[in-house]
Amino acid sequence: MKTERQASISKILIPLDGSSSAEHAVDYVIRHMDTLKQPPTLLLLNVQWKIATGNVKLFINQDTINDYYREQGMAALQQARVALDEARLSYQYHISVGTPAEAIVQYAREQEVDQIVMCRQGEGGLKTLLLGSVVAKVLHLAECPVLLVK
Amino acid sequence: MFSAPQFWADVVKIIMIDLLLSGDNAVVIALACRNLPPDQRRKGILFGVGGAIGLRIVLTFFAVSLLALPYLKLIGALLLIWIGIKLILPEDEHTESNIKADARLIGAIKTIIVADFVMSLDNVLGVAAAAKGNVSLLVFGLLISIPLIAWSSQLVLKLIDRFPYIIYAGGALLGYVAGEMLVSEVLLAPLVEAQHQLHWLIPASCALLVLVIGKWLAMRRLVMSEVVNLVDGKVSVMPDKQG
Repeated sequence: MKTERQASISKILIPLDGSSSAEHAVDYVIRHMDTLKQPPTLLLLNVQWKIATGNVKLFINQDTINDYYREQGMAALQQARVALDEARLSYQYHISVGTPAEAIVQYAREQEVDQIVMCRQGEGGLKTLLLGSVVAKVLHLAECPVLLVK
Repeated sequence: MFSAPQFWADVVKIIMIDLLLSGDNAVVIALACRNLPPDQRRKGILFGVGGAIGLRIVLTFFAVSLLALPYLKLIGALLLIWIGIKLILPEDEHTESNIKADARLIGAIKTIIVADFVMSLDNVLGVAAAAKGNVSLLVFGLLISIPLIAWSSQLVLKLIDRFPYIIYAGGALLGYVAGEMLVSEVLLAPLVEAQHQLHWLIPASCALLVLVIGKWLAMRRLVMSEVVNLVDGKVSVMPDKQG
């Protein structure tokens, strides 16, 4: 558990998967910026599934694989970056490769964020049942408060 | 045939093997075509997927006819046990290719076909063993694997993330199928006929063997797949307060 160093929220992490619902979280943060005393540091994160494993690495070199991750990751961050640029807010962005929920929680820990803001995904149904939801896993693993935006 | 429980059990086995050993064909196809000029990219993907499917069909029937020969079932079973163990083992991070990404269509297709050949072997062997010479099961196995070749393999990653034990089930299944192949090996036929309980005892022991060796090796290697930090960027806007 993280100790309460500061009373106010100074670092917010917004994980993005490139879906339009994920952008709700960004919109929410932009709209509620005024309610915070200090403008917080905004961190955007996209996690790419590590699709290139063992066999793939035999045939494709790491540079090509990394270029692919980078391209996919930047595309997923694009919409949020445009929104933040328009709102004239500073932010940091980050792309990591791994399992989404674990990577989100790990990054939040490394950066000592005060809050994770995510969208409660509207996917639902069979897909969530079979594949699980990143949100549920983050809620379970996170060491800081998680704000779910509808 | 369709009402026999054994048939449906085989169908489930084949779906499972297809899923877990679907390989990374889709990834290799996408990545190999990345450096092509845009107008050739579609062509490359099309040829790549087509070639992969064709190769899969040829290899499957090749495997089936090979497995009909004596002794080869023995080798096939040993290979399957090894494939099962490898499925359970965590990724070895140290393999890395130094093949230069080819910017020509022919080079990309060559990469895809060679990769398909190597990555299809485990799947083909597993499906051939599970089908036990039943042609409709073989064709079914091929049909299931085709969308898996063409689509992204994120599906499998997500499944394993959601149900981590699926790889143990898959490993045990491969061991079991290997055992079934051993039982049907002509060389062992006199022994199996004499001791009837071997019909389930051998497959069960093979499944257990895969689990035990796989788990043991996995514990020795014990490295969690790490999160890799790829891009770190910062955009600063100083609207009002400067200096």
